[in-house]
Amino acid sequence: MDGSISVHELVKTYKGDVKAVQGVSFEVGEGEFFAFLGPNGAGKSTTVQILTTLVKPTTGTIRIGGVDVGEEPERVRWNIGVALQETGIDPVLTGRELIEMQARLFGFTKKEAKTRADELLTLVDLNDAADRPCGKYSGGMRRRLDLALTLVHKPKILFLDEPTTGLDPSNRQAIWKEIKRLNREEGTTIFLTTQYLEEADQLADRISIINQGKIVASGSAEELKRTLGFDAIQLVFEADEEAERASKVLADLGENIECSKDEVTLYTENGTQLLSELVRKLDENNLSPKKLNVKPPSLDDVFINVTNEQKERA
Amino acid sequence: MSEQRKGSFLVDTLVFTKRSIVTIIRNPLIFIPNLIISLFFLFVYEGGLSGISELPAFEGANYLAFILPVSIVSAAIGGAGGAGQALVKDLENGYFSRLLLTPSSRLAIVLGPIIAGMLQLLIQTGLILVVAYFLGLEVAAGFGGVIVVLLLTLGWGLAFAGYSVGVALRTKNAQSAQAGTFVFFPLIFLSTTFVPYELIEAGWLKVAATINPTTYLFEAMRSVFIDGWEAWPLVRGFLVIALLCAITISFSAISASKAVSAD
Repeated sequence: MDGSISVHELVKTYKGDVKAVQGVSFEVGEGEFFAFLGPNGAGKSTTVQILTTLVKPTTGTIRIGGVDVGEEPERVRWNIGVALQETGIDPVLTGRELIEMQARLFGFTKKEAKTRADELLTLVDLNDAADRPCGKYSGGMRRRLDLALTLVHKPKILFLDEPTTGLDPSNRQAIWKEIKRLNREEGTTIFLTTQYLEEADQLADRISIINQGKIVASGSAEELKRTLGFDAIQLVFEADEEAERASKVLADLGENIECSKDEVTLYTENGTQLLSELVRKLDENNLSPKKLNVKPPSLDDVFINVTNEQKERA
Repeated sequence: MSEQRKGSFLVDTLVFTKRSIVTIIRNPLIFIPNLIISLFFLFVYEGGLSGISELPAFEGANYLAFILPVSIVSAAIGGAGGAGQALVKDLENGYFSRLLLTPSSRLAIVLGPIIAGMLQLLIQTGLILVVAYFLGLEVAAGFGGVIVVLLLTLGWGLAFAGYSVGVALRTKNAQSAQAGTFVFFPLIFLSTTFVPYELIEAGWLKVAATINPTTYLFEAMRSVFIDGWEAWPLVRGFLVIALLCAITISFSAISASKAVSAD
């Protein structure tokens, strides 16, 4: 069994004809760091649950490490580590007890389980709290314990569903550092879903963006930005109302325009050439931004663009 | 590295049972109220109603021996219901998914809380019997009779645990599972709870008592407490329990397989 993931034409339809995932296919190589991005409700978590044996697909073939998930789910479970969006922790047991129990369920002897618990508690920096009931842990501590539980059996493939959502920066840093180490030093395959695009940008070898149950873009962060082929012109106004007015005035200049609060972002093929016309239009309408920026697209821009395009087509 | 390791049903069951026992011990509120209610039944009914055992329908039986099964059975229902409650908690806080993601036996995940519940129930029943002994209980069938009562209680507890686990896995939330335990009332009270069948006044209650499986459990326990060794009440009691177990355990097994492989 290796560390690869292969998904072919995955479809998941829930009762009442709710199409959560509509024909998703992708491959992740051994040791690769793969990020799965998408807005809320795009089908990310459903995909993770299907890939990790928790939910059955409606149709499609999934191989984790070459093993068919539908045919041999138990063999898959031996080799994957999964941290779901909601941490799964029994509040009555202590951190140490939970790790030892997890290890026992993965076939460790009592002695091995104890040793493994010591290692992991140190790794996630929970030695001081190890013998307190987890119900008393803070959100960050729970997350770290959850990660330790995920790593007990040294899985070849890690599935992480928004592992840092709701964490303070220092806890987030700690978790990212560990995930990066596992990938770079131990060759662990990482399948990550996140809403922190910046982090996917920095860490992931490859990114797929899913929206409304379909993959709408795939590639490395650089490739995605290049295929977008747009510059982003960012304007910030004094008042939200001005920004709204500007977004109407400038709408026909670019391919796509986004307005949120006091900020307007215009996506256009050639930002610098358009600038004079843009400024003229703003002048005519008595609009003067307090900030104006032309920049190559960020992953955020790619994300907003591909998810918006789809909305328009729909 | 993981593949050379092997899972073991026995180890899994042991691990889950141990965990459930630890949980019960750390939350005394899980079993203490239930035990107190059962002892309360015993004291109050014995104190308030024992005079009616003078009636000829009781055939000279001691009321303590007559009412004791009510206390034991109500404790058993509470104890066994704990198994379902424990699973609901796991489902609600996400720990159940964490367990499903391990290669452990799916059956063991459900069996752990049930076994722990049965142990809790045995200890509770033992305590109630000790209290009854100090109140002056005499068991007509002797020590063997006590064992029979424990076995009947265990069987009854298993049947109710199957029911509570099934309901828990179906509804997946605490309120609904809690609502499911309300069958406790008809089971305990629509029966020969306070007086023998012949003394029940209302026709509808007579019908209910005849249908209610608890009646046969009460009768079986009373027979060993009061009359000694009599075959028929015991055979009937164990048969009813076996039938109930078959139904509720299948119900919980079907619910479990649905809950662990969500469509």
